[in-house]
Order: sequence, then C-alpha cells, then structure tokens
Amino acid sequence: MVRARGLAVLIVATFVAFACGTSGGGNANKGTIDIGSDLPTSGADASSGLPTQYGAAFAVSQAGTVKGFTLKFVPYDDAVNGKHDPTKGAQNVQQMISDSKLLGMVGPFNSGVAAAEIPVGNQAPLAMISPSNTNECLTLAFDYCQKYAGYTAASLRPTGKNNYFRVAANDTFQGPAMADYAWDTLGLKTIAVWDDQEPFGLGVANNFAKEFTKKGGTVVARQGFDTSSKPDFHAWLNKAKTAGAQGIYAGATSASYGCIPRQESQGIFDPNSYYLGPDGIGDGQCIKDSGTTMGNDHMYASQGVADANANASAATTIAAYKKAHPSPDDTAAYTFAGYDCAAILIDAIGRAIDKNGGNMPTRQQVIDAMATTSNFPGLTGTYTLNSAGDPTTPALQVQQYKGGAWTTVKNIAVTV
Amino acid sequence: MVQRFRASLISTPTASLINLVGLAIVVVALVATVQRVATAPGGATYFFQTMGFGLALGAIFALVALGYTMVYGIIELINFAHGDVFTLGAFISAAILPIFGLTEGRTFGIGLILPLLGVFLVTMLVCALINVGIERVAYRPLRHAPRLAPLITAIGMSALLEGVMNVWRGPFTLHYPDLLPEYQIPLGGGVTIAAKAVTVIVLAVVLMVALTVFVNRSTLGKAMRATAQDRDAAQLMGIDINRTISATFFIGAALAGAGGIIYGLYYNSYSAFDGFTYGLYAFTAAVFGGIGNIPGAALGGLLIGVIYAISDGYFTVAWTQVLVFGILIFVLVFRPTGLLGMRVPEK
Repeated sequence: MVRARGLAVLIVATFVAFACGTSGGGNANKGTIDIGSDLPTSGADASSGLPTQYGAAFAVSQAGTVKGFTLKFVPYDDAVNGKHDPTKGAQNVQQMISDSKLLGMVGPFNSGVAAAEIPVGNQAPLAMISPSNTNECLTLAFDYCQKYAGYTAASLRPTGKNNYFRVAANDTFQGPAMADYAWDTLGLKTIAVWDDQEPFGLGVANNFAKEFTKKGGTVVARQGFDTSSKPDFHAWLNKAKTAGAQGIYAGATSASYGCIPRQESQGIFDPNSYYLGPDGIGDGQCIKDSGTTMGNDHMYASQGVADANANASAATTIAAYKKAHPSPDDTAAYTFAGYDCAAILIDAIGRAIDKNGGNMPTRQQVIDAMATTSNFPGLTGTYTLNSAGDPTTPALQVQQYKGGAWTTVKNIAVTV
Repeated sequence: MVQRFRASLISTPTASLINLVGLAIVVVALVATVQRVATAPGGATYFFQTMGFGLALGAIFALVALGYTMVYGIIELINFAHGDVFTLGAFISAAILPIFGLTEGRTFGIGLILPLLGVFLVTMLVCALINVGIERVAYRPLRHAPRLAPLITAIGMSALLEGVMNVWRGPFTLHYPDLLPEYQIPLGGGVTIAAKAVTVIVLAVVLMVALTVFVNRSTLGKAMRATAQDRDAAQLMGIDINRTISATFFIGAALAGAGGIIYGLYYNSYSAFDGFTYGLYAFTAAVFGGIGNIPGAALGGLLIGVIYAISDGYFTVAWTQVLVFGILIFVLVFRPTGLLGMRVPEK
C-alpha cells in the first residue's frame, strides 16, 4: 500500500514536471545553445589564456540556461607549438561557424589572432567578444593602421557590418596610462624604452614614449629588438643605464622575452630600479624570467581592464569562482574580463530570443542585440558597447608585483 | 676539393683587387668604430663593460664554434645539430643541479665550485655520448653518400633534439638558477667589470686551453689531426678512423655541453629553441676564424661576441644581426680561408 502510494506520487510528480516544461517555464528543453571560446590555452600563452577560459566557462556554467535553452561551453585552443597562431584561430572560428547551435564566441586573446579571425567571423556572421584585444586598429580608423598593423577596421569587415566587440581598453590608453603613472606616482624623470617589433609591443611603446615626453620626461634610449630568437640585452641595458635611465619600459609580452632584460640588468641597474610594461608582461612567466635578484616589487604592468576586486558587487561571484578554482594560477588579469564577455554574450542572446518570440535567434539577431548592450553590470565594469565594438567607458588598471602576486595599485577610468 | 677551390679563388688575377677592396672596407669600419668608441659618453668604464659583455658572449660562441670547426675539419660536415647539443647542455645541467645540491642563494665559494665541477663533468659526458650516438646513427652510414645527404640528416637531428627538449620542458623560457657572484670587479680608476662576465670568460678559456693541449700533445689528438689532413693516409698508418671521428664528436659535444651550462649561468634563462640561433652565430664564428681551424674558431667566437656588443652598445641593436651575418658573407667573399685558415699553395 505504502509502496503503491509512493509510485502514484512519483507519477504525478513526473506529470507536473512535464507540464511545467512545456509551458515554457524555468526548465530547459527548447534545445541547446553553444557558446564558443578561442584562446591560447597551451604552451607559453596558457598562463594568461587558460585562466581567461576558466572565467568564461564559469559564467556559462553559472547561467546554465537562457530563456529555456541549455547553454553549452565549447572551448577552442589557438596555440600551435605553444604560441598563439592566427591561422589556427581562423580555422577554429570556421569550425565554430559550422556548428549551427553556436551563436557567439568569447575571444580571441591576442590582437594578431583577432585580425585573422574577424574577417572569417564577419562573413558568417558570428558575434565575437574579446576580453583582452587591445590593438586600436581592430575597431578604430587611424591613418597609420594600414602601415603599422597591416589592416584597417574596415578591411577586417568585408560585409561592412560589425560583428566584433571587446571590453578591453585599446592600446591608445595602455601606454599613456603607464606613462602617467610613472611620472605622477613613481616620480620617474628619465626612462629607456624598448619594444619587440610586433604591432602590439611597438604600439604601446610608442604611445608610452609620446605621453612620457609630453609630461616632461626624457626617453634616454629607444630601441627595437628582433625577438624571433632571444636577443642579448646586456650591452643595450648598459647603454641605457649610462644614458641615465631610472627605469625601463618594455613594449613586449612574456612570449617575446618581455622580462628577460629584467634578469639581465642585474649588475647593471640597481635592484630597486623600475621595470614597467603593458598587460603582456603582467603574468607569472614574467616573474619567472625576471629571476630573484632584481626587486620584483619594482615591476609594474598595466592591464586593459579594471580590477574586479574593486567592485563590491562582484565579491560574491569572485568568491564562488575562487572556490571552484582554488589554484592562484587559475586567476589572471583577464579571468573576470573573460567572465564578463561570456555574460554579455548570454545577455545579448537572451534579448535576441525575446525578440524572436522565444525561439532560437539567428546569429545576426545576436549581433544586433550585442550592439545595443547598455549599462551591463559586469564584474570588471559597467559596459555599454558602441557601434564600432568598443566599450564607451573603458577602464584600466596598473598592477604592481608584490607579496607574490600582481596586485592592483590603481584603477583608471577613461572617458572616450 | 674545397681547399683546391679556395686556392684557385685566391690565385686568380682579380683576387688581389678583391682583397684590396676587402682591406679598404675593414679599415673604414675600424676607423668608424674607433671614432665612435672614443666620442661615446661613458668613457673607459662603459668601454670595458661593453667589452666584458662581448667577451662573455664571445666565449660562449667560441665553445660552440669549436665543435663545428672540429667536425668540419675531420669529415667536412656542417653538423647543424651541434647548436641543439649546446642547448641540451643547459637542459641537462638544469635538471641535475638540484641533485648536486645547487640551488639559488648559495654563496660563491668552494662549496659551490666543487659541485659545479661535478655538474660540468656529468653534463659534458652526457652531451658527448649523445653526440657520438648522433654521429653513429645519422652521419656514419652516410659517410660515402653525396655531401647533401648528411647535411639533411643533420638538420633532421637538429629538429629532433629541439622537439625532444620542447616535449620535455615545454616551449617556455625557463629560469636557470642564478649561482655566479654578482658584483663589479674594480679595475682601477673607477673602471669596473662584471664578475659574472669574468667567470664566464675564465671558464671558457680554461676549456679551450685544455682542448688545444689535448689536440697538440695526446696520441688521440695527433690521430685527429692526421685524419683531418688525409683520411686515407691516416688509415694506412693504422689509425682507427671510426674511433677518431667518434672522439671528435665526443670532444666537440663536451665543449658545447659546457657552453650550454655557461650560457645558463650567464643568462639565467634558456629555452628549447635557443640553440638554433646560437648555432648560426657559432657557425659564423667558425667561418670567420677559418673553418677547420681550432684556434681560429676560438678567436672567431670572441671577435663575433665583441662585434655584437660594440654594435649593440655603440651603434644600434637593429644593425647587429645584419653586421654579424654580413661578416659571414664578407669573409666568404674576401677571405674564404678565414682569419687563421691556411692558404693552400697552388698545386
């Protein structure tokens, strides 16, 4: 008797559940929507790419569903032989496009990869949102873009319509932000600047030097290094020191030997001299390369997004993320920007579903919804995306390496 | 064959004109350098520091160049895997440093020098045995094949070694423990030179002197010189050719392995693909000094290092690679025998 009643309850419960499902309630049975990501998650770039992927994956798993569709996270790796690779990135986007349930992607991580991926995504079209691309030419038209970057915002978009968005502040801000910090806060008057002869490194180094000079400072040595193999920096560092440099600005990334000069400057520069750079050196690899004899607490890196920890309303989500990913290596500068990208994408998909009467939206509808993203409360900032794909109020931070981690020392809000 | 070709190049009537042009270019370059060095800011201190960096770098080039030149001298093969045997020296030594109790933060003294000596011995031995294995597998079966075949297997071996190191430790730049003293040695008059650079130079010079003594004094060294001069005649005199060639690869790789350790100690960073570029520089050094000539390789290496540092320190970094590889072309055109290479008399 008891058993029979139990069975009856079970049957009723099943019916109720079924009824709820069909009436379009909370349960997901409309199907699956895939969210892709393309980041360098193996090799030398993995130290920054993998934590970003974890952030995006965490946002998808937290949301779980959107308007009755189950969300599935589909990550791709654009590293070949341990380095981010534009061709591999473009192939990944092609694969994502062939997945009809995939409505948008988070990534890529590197500006060079973005230049190869945007035209592919543009023709599909597929909504792309990058947590970390900072090259200004990806979204904005400058007369030097064709010459230095080899592309323009228009040439990357063959259809003439935009499909690409980002939350990071572009390079026109990162170099000057660090120059201001060096002059105003660190009190540096003379500095030596080198770059890795790549579009990103050259761009930030030039913008840094321009702003530092404008402030009244002197760039006593300016040099580009061929970083296709590891150069010997000793002689140039000595030249910079002899010219009176109080510190070094490296327009480079850890993958282009960005912090090797820090190690090689021992015996030449004072251990408490300053070493500054863009987001590309603000990772664990840089600290490994720098060694232990030069003061690591005198190293500063800018980041193209604001620090999520400064945002009080983000605390719960950050705590939940850190519980799921306890290793300190799993949280890097762009982890929560990756989270925000996925969240903005899910929000846009949700609005696109509403617009399409609760049905699976087209990819163009998702892009249109992305372009109307307004005051989205993310972890790293409140985002409004403009028609070019840029955030209208980008934010940056300056980080210092102290206490065994890159720590935010200043958040900088920029109004475009 | 090669030597006869070189001899014919030198003896042609245009050769003296070519040599004159070459001499003029060298004189102009030297005058420009002296003028720049004399007028640059920083004075003598800066000059000696730059020379220190150049000699340290040059010492590493020289150690690698010796292996190139010995192998070329004996079987006329450019062993492209040699640069990667050099990197392997850094990898192997980094792996065994903890076994010898060498970690960062040790003070420089006898407690550091003795274990370091052990690291040198083990690393040099392992590198040497690997290189002997490479010769046995990739070059010996092709000794009578056309010249191109062992060159291709050499490039293949280079890729293989890089691949193995890449799989072993990944493509990252790795940190090499910082063990050498970290201060400036005063030379009087306010001029200083980095102790680290001096250590590197001294280590390399000791190894090179040992090699020279070995080649000039020992029976095996005599056999090596005999084989290099005329393989068939040496064989008729009862010299075991295979053993002698193996010994050449053994010694060359031991020096490259030592070079790898010195490289790690000096730069405190290493990665799987570093050896390729260093191989190219060392090859240039070997040609500069006269390929096949042992003192020539040492001199060529040191000079290439000094030119590198002077270009970086007094001119611009952008031109350094152009300059160094320009020298390679320049030497091949104007003096194919290199600085110390013998001019073969006309036959």
